[in-house]
Amino acid sequence: MATILEIKHVSKFFGGLAANSDVSFSLDEGMIMGLIGPNGAGKTTLFNCITGYYPPSRGEVIFKEQKISGLEPDRVCRLGMVRTWQKVRPLAKLSVIDNVMVGALCRTNSLKTARELAMEQLKVVRMDNKPNFLAGGLPIGERKKLEVARALATQPQLLLLDEVMGGLNPAESDEIIQLILEIKKSGGITQMVIEHDMKAIMRISDRIVVINSGEKLAEGTPQEIVNNPEVIRAYLGDFHA
Amino acid sequence: MKPTFALIRTSAGTSPVAIALGVAILAGLFLFPNFVQSPYALHIMILFFLSTIQGEAWNIIGGYTGQYSVGHAAYFGAGAYTTMILMQYKQIPPWYGMLAGIGVALVVSLIIGSICFRLRGPYFVLASIAVAEIMRLSAMNLKDITNGAEGILITEIPVFKIGETIVTDFLSKVPFYYIGLVIALITILVTWMVQNSKLGYYFQAIREDQDAAHSLGISLPIYKNIALALSAIFTSLSGSFYAVYIGFIDPPTVLALDISVQIVLICIIGGIGTIWGPVIGAMVLVPLSEALRSNLIAQMIFKTGLTSEESGIGTFLKENLAHAHALIYGILVVVVILFMPDGILGWVKKLTAKKGRG
Ligand SMILES: Nc1ncnc2c1ncn2[C@@H]1O[C@H](COP(=O)(O)OP(=O)(O)OP(=O)(O)O)[C@@H](O)[C@H]1O
Ligand SMILES: [Mg+2]
Repeated sequence: MATILEIKHVSKFFGGLAANSDVSFSLDEGMIMGLIGPNGAGKTTLFNCITGYYPPSRGEVIFKEQKISGLEPDRVCRLGMVRTWQKVRPLAKLSVIDNVMVGALCRTNSLKTARELAMEQLKVVRMDNKPNFLAGGLPIGERKKLEVARALATQPQLLLLDEVMGGLNPAESDEIIQLILEIKKSGGITQMVIEHDMKAIMRISDRIVVINSGEKLAEGTPQEIVNNPEVIRAYLGDFHA
Repeated sequence: MKPTFALIRTSAGTSPVAIALGVAILAGLFLFPNFVQSPYALHIMILFFLSTIQGEAWNIIGGYTGQYSVGHAAYFGAGAYTTMILMQYKQIPPWYGMLAGIGVALVVSLIIGSICFRLRGPYFVLASIAVAEIMRLSAMNLKDITNGAEGILITEIPVFKIGETIVTDFLSKVPFYYIGLVIALITILVTWMVQNSKLGYYFQAIREDQDAAHSLGISLPIYKNIALALSAIFTSLSGSFYAVYIGFIDPPTVLALDISVQIVLICIIGGIGTIWGPVIGAMVLVPLSEALRSNLIAQMIFKTGLTSEESGIGTFLKENLAHAHALIYGILVVVVILFMPDGILGWVKKLTAKKGRG
């Protein structure tokens, strides 16, 4: 399996706080990588560093054998890597379909083509029944799905999902799990998924990286992770705190 | 649940009635000077076109892209000064001067864009004001080029010929009426084209959420600068047009902060980020400011008999209402922002949507 993303010794400092510190791991094409860790561990920060939201303080990120750390997010997106936002960012005054079209326009200049691509993505997340609703008026579950559809519309090879199940009810979460598995099955898209729901992450991930206080604590298959004493300690510690 | 009209974005289908109405209005506008000879009426219409052009132009960067420039006097002044300097001191006719003005405005927009677009929100607003003020002070002090505070007065507009045929000598208001009308229509057409293209989607994405837009492959500096450049082109055109029409410019009339504010008001009052908002804003603001200037409002109050012209209040109104421009505008803006956050156009749309459901 070819490597699609390599994170090499990435650190990110906010003043004196090391939100990420010397994190290294890599993703193979087509896999689902789970990224877990207690609140404030530095998961979102790592996504931000990878996608160019801000440059890492140290280390580098290699995507498809090209160094991308230091590039702006729009360049990274056009190279084929896109992320969703933990705190959703709908384009509130635009309709659902227009939101997804903005993503699709990354690969085409034609509104007509973009509309068709967008409609396909809305079908994938099962929101093709309300293309003309304003994005700002959607309930949280659908806002999360809209994030995914919009990101998919940019036709990425690597999709980074930041807590798309956060705040959803079990039925909605289950729908997202199915969606992630479908994306994997349809092929061509590698995924890295941040999630707090342990059961979900164990079920979907091929491998899991655990982050704690900015550092990589462990990496392995879901089986290896649940049996790792350090991981258990980190989570129990977090639990008791 | 919020009411559905707020949730569903209706795609404005062009009904036959709307098309017929549009054609009728257009025909009316083109025939207007044949029926109305009053120079004052033509003057009001020309001011209306001018405000429409300004409003539509600002709308591209402010309304669609969400970058609230309060320094558009910079481009208005750039057009006005370039055209006037070339015409008065270099004998270059204004139709070329207008193009040169666009060039200057584009350069100014790129400079402003590269400095100001590093800033967001209120900082961008302040930076845009600062740059326009720098231009005003420069025009004030570079006396050799701009004639400083004395301004530039046109002594003669060259005759416009195609071949040997004289098209117009610019002696009446009619040629200005048609030039204003055509530029206004072009500006509206360009806005429509922007709205229905990738640019329009990208501009609105930036307005709604810069970080989301950025992460979806949209280069912020490139698209903000494109929006500002488009906006600068038409604002500059309006400046050139204004200068030649009025025949006199000085820093306070084309580069002052009130020009920038007035341009923003056209959009806020009419409805930001829509094609027809600025037109409606211009329709409200131009008559209002004319009524204030000619003391029409005071006269009307006297006619209703609320107070007489001779009474204390009457004299006060007569003497001060004409100068209360800023006050009345201020009140208008507060009313619009409080009761019609989407401008008059948005308010009307909401009303009709409510009726449609009930
Ligand atoms: N822009 C910033 N400036 C300063 N500190 C920040 C910034 N962004 C994140 N942090 C800090 O960095 C640490 C890691 O935050 P991050 O959001 O990456 O955690 P997380 O693992 O995503 O947590 P959660 O599970 O709650 O989403 C936190 O202590 C946070 O307060
Ligand atoms: Mg997070």
